[in-house]
This record gives sequence, structure tokens and C-alpha cells, in this order.
Amino acid sequence: MNLTFFDQFMSPQILGIPLTILALLTPSIIFPTQNTRWLTNRFSTLQLWTINSFTKQLMLPINKTGHQWSIILTSLMTMLLMINLLGLLPYTFTPTTQLSLNMGLAIPMWLATVLTGLRNQPTTSLGHLLPEGTPILLTPILIIIETISLFIRPLALGVRLTANLTAGHLLIQLTSTAVLTLLPTVPTLSLLTMIILFLLTILELAVAMIQAYVFVLLLSLYLQENT
Amino acid sequence: MLSRLGLRAAPAALKSLAPSLSVGVLHASRPFHTGQHCLAPLPPLPEKGGQVRHGLIPEEFFQFLYPKTGVTGPYMLGTGLLFYLLSKEIYIVNHETIAGACTVGVLIYIVKKYGGDVAAFADRLNEEKVAKALAVKNDSINHLESIIEQEKKEQWRAEGRSYLFDAKRNNIAMLLETNYRERLLTVYNEVKKRLDYQIAVQQLTRRKEQDHMINWIEKNVAQSITAQQEKESIAKCISDLKMLSKSPQAAV
Repeated sequence: MNLTFFDQFMSPQILGIPLTILALLTPSIIFPTQNTRWLTNRFSTLQLWTINSFTKQLMLPINKTGHQWSIILTSLMTMLLMINLLGLLPYTFTPTTQLSLNMGLAIPMWLATVLTGLRNQPTTSLGHLLPEGTPILLTPILIIIETISLFIRPLALGVRLTANLTAGHLLIQLTSTAVLTLLPTVPTLSLLTMIILFLLTILELAVAMIQAYVFVLLLSLYLQENT
Repeated sequence: MLSRLGLRAAPAALKSLAPSLSVGVLHASRPFHTGQHCLAPLPPLPEKGGQVRHGLIPEEFFQFLYPKTGVTGPYMLGTGLLFYLLSKEIYIVNHETIAGACTVGVLIYIVKKYGGDVAAFADRLNEEKVAKALAVKNDSINHLESIIEQEKKEQWRAEGRSYLFDAKRNNIAMLLETNYRERLLTVYNEVKKRLDYQIAVQQLTRRKEQDHMINWIEKNVAQSITAQQEKESIAKCISDLKMLSKSPQAAV
């Protein structure tokens, strides 16, 4: 198969049947199911420990009513983490490089936080549009600016994730193409580029984990404002 | 309750659906977790995971090929397969190959470096869990043992009870004796006081009588002495004195 640079971003399909659902669900195979044993194997113990500590850490600044969101935020985090990490392997499709998926995750979540805030404590929610301690003259302008920033949030969430992952994947493709093309002619330069590729891979691993975390963290932040 | 209604209405509902859907609905609405789950102790987990060579291929594959192809069999198979795929261009070397090699290399490095630590951490988590439960058990055992020791001490104390009672009895007897003696002394003193009083009264009476009698006698005697008698007595005294004055001179 001769791959162009953008083949990895095409939504997979077989004879017109879209496989995106499979691509989204496959990462969940990696996680072991709940064990009925008291002492589990290493994998289950580690999974339990990571999920527990992550959820505790995430829900620290949020009050009791916001704790209902813990299961959705933790499962979102694990899904994004797995999708991002698996996308680093060759010939895999990363669903989070599609803007449609990320917007589909970001807009409903963000809207849910805003609506929760408006329903339960409308005055406090609307009060967030004017930060404390602003001079009275700036009030009208600032409210407009804060409203714009409020509506940009879901866009920012979705686009941030998409852009980071797409850019990273593309960079890896380009650098490895450079390595491959330089190999017959200037092997030394090819080796140097290979070192860059190694560093880039480590960066991409980190970025994959960090972006998933940032997505969920920002959502929890919006939740904290609104509960 | 509502599920029973649902169960009764199910066959009619299934029949009303199109045949392509009814099978799916039948399987999707199958109830799960209806029976009692197994309460007996589960078999223990195996000590180690399955043996794997090069992190990917199970050891059983090598054992499977060993009788026919010996030790190098699987390796020959792998290499031949790889070269076949490469030479026939069934697998094309493109940029993804290099990217994949890089990623796989980084992953292998991470696993080799931190794998042991992560495994030790997971083992430590499990051990802490077990240690907590063991600590509960040991605490209750220690508590019960200390109770047993205290019980034994109480039993030993109970054996020495008779000495305690003897000592207490002696103590009380001595207290009673002391009290009795004190009261006896009090009685004696009181009686003596009363008798002394009586004696003092008698002596006082006798003295008063004596004094009174002496005074009366003196008064009467003084009254009875007339002037004549007084003169006679004085003349007699003088003659006696004279006689007496003569005799001592003679003696000397």
C-alpha cells in the first residue's frame, strides 16, 4: 500500500460500512473487567489503583453535587488516554484526530455544565460573566468579552485535542519519511533525523496522555464553576 | 412487578415485530445474573502468568514445534515469513515502518526500565491489603491473649482469698478489742470520778465538823474561864516557873 500523509486520518470503512464504532470501542478491550476476587492480579490492582487515585484527585475541588460527574469524567479520561496511546502504533486510526468526534464530546459536556449552572444557581452562573473587582466603566465591554469566551470554550476544547493529535501524527509521518528518503543517500543525516524521531515519539507519548488529561481537567473546572 | 408484566406481554410483542428484529430483541432482552452466584471459594490464581518468549510469542508455540523442527524451528519460520512478506512486497516498507519501529523501540525501552518497579508496586499494594487484614486478625488474637492472662491472674488472686479473709478477720478482732478496752477505761474513769467526789464530800464534811467543834469548844472554854480562875492559874504558873528555874541551875 502506498500511503499518502493523510491516509491515516481517513475514517476507516470496509466496502462502505463505517468502522469508526469499532475503532472507538476497541481500546476498551484492554481494560480487565471487575474482578470478584479480593486479591487480583497485578494488572487489575494497578488499574484499580490508578482509577481510584485519578478520580479522587479530579474530584477534590468539586463539591458534593458535582461528584455525580465522577464516573463520566473518569471513563472519558480512560477512553481518550487509550485512543491517543493506541494511535501512536503504526497503521492505526486515531479517532480523536477527527474534529467531529472531539466536538461531539466537547459541546454536549460543556453545554451540560452550563445548563446545570443556569438551572441550579442562575445568579451565580451569570455572575461569572463579570470577574470580581472590575472598574464599573468596563462592565459592559467585559460582559460581552466574557460571553464570547464562554461560547468559545467548547470550540477550544475540541480543536485543542484535534490539533494536538493531528499535528503530532503528521510530524511523525513527515520525519519518518525524511529518515526513509535520506537513508540511501546520506545515512548519517538519516541517523540524526532518527534521533529527532525518537525524541518526537517520546513527546507524542507525553502529549497523548497530557491532552486527554487536560480535556477532562478543563471540563471539571467548568463544572466547579457551575455547581 | 413491572418486569412480570413485561414478561407476560413479551411473546405477543415479539410476534408483532418484523422477523428480522424479533430475534435480536429476544437475545437482547435475555435476563442476566438471574441465578445465585457461586459462593464457594474460587480456585487460587496461578503463581505466574503464561511463559512468553520475546514478550510476544507463548512458550507453548515453541514446544509445539520442537518435536519436528528442534530449537531453531520457530525462528526459521519467523524469519522466512518476514522475508517472504518483504520480498513479495506484501508488506511495503514505508514511513510508517520507521515510525512504528521508533515507537516500538521506545515502548520496549520503557517496559524494560520501569517494568520491575511497576510490578513491585502492584505487589506492594496487594501485600498492604493482606497486611491490613492480618493486622486485624493479629490484633484480636493479642487482645484475647491478654484477656486470658488477666483471667489467670484473677484466678491466682482468688486462690489467696483465704489468707486475705484471715487477715481481715484479725484486723477486725483487734479493732473490736481495742474499742472494748477503751470503753472499759472510760467506765473506770467515770466511776472513779464519782467515788472521788463522794470521798471529797465526806472529808469536807468531817473537817467542817472538826472546825466547828473546835471553835465551839474554844468559845465555851473561853467563856467558862472566870476572872478568879485566871488569877489562880497565872499564880500557879509563876510558882511553877520559879521551881523550874531552880532545878535547872542545880542540874548545870
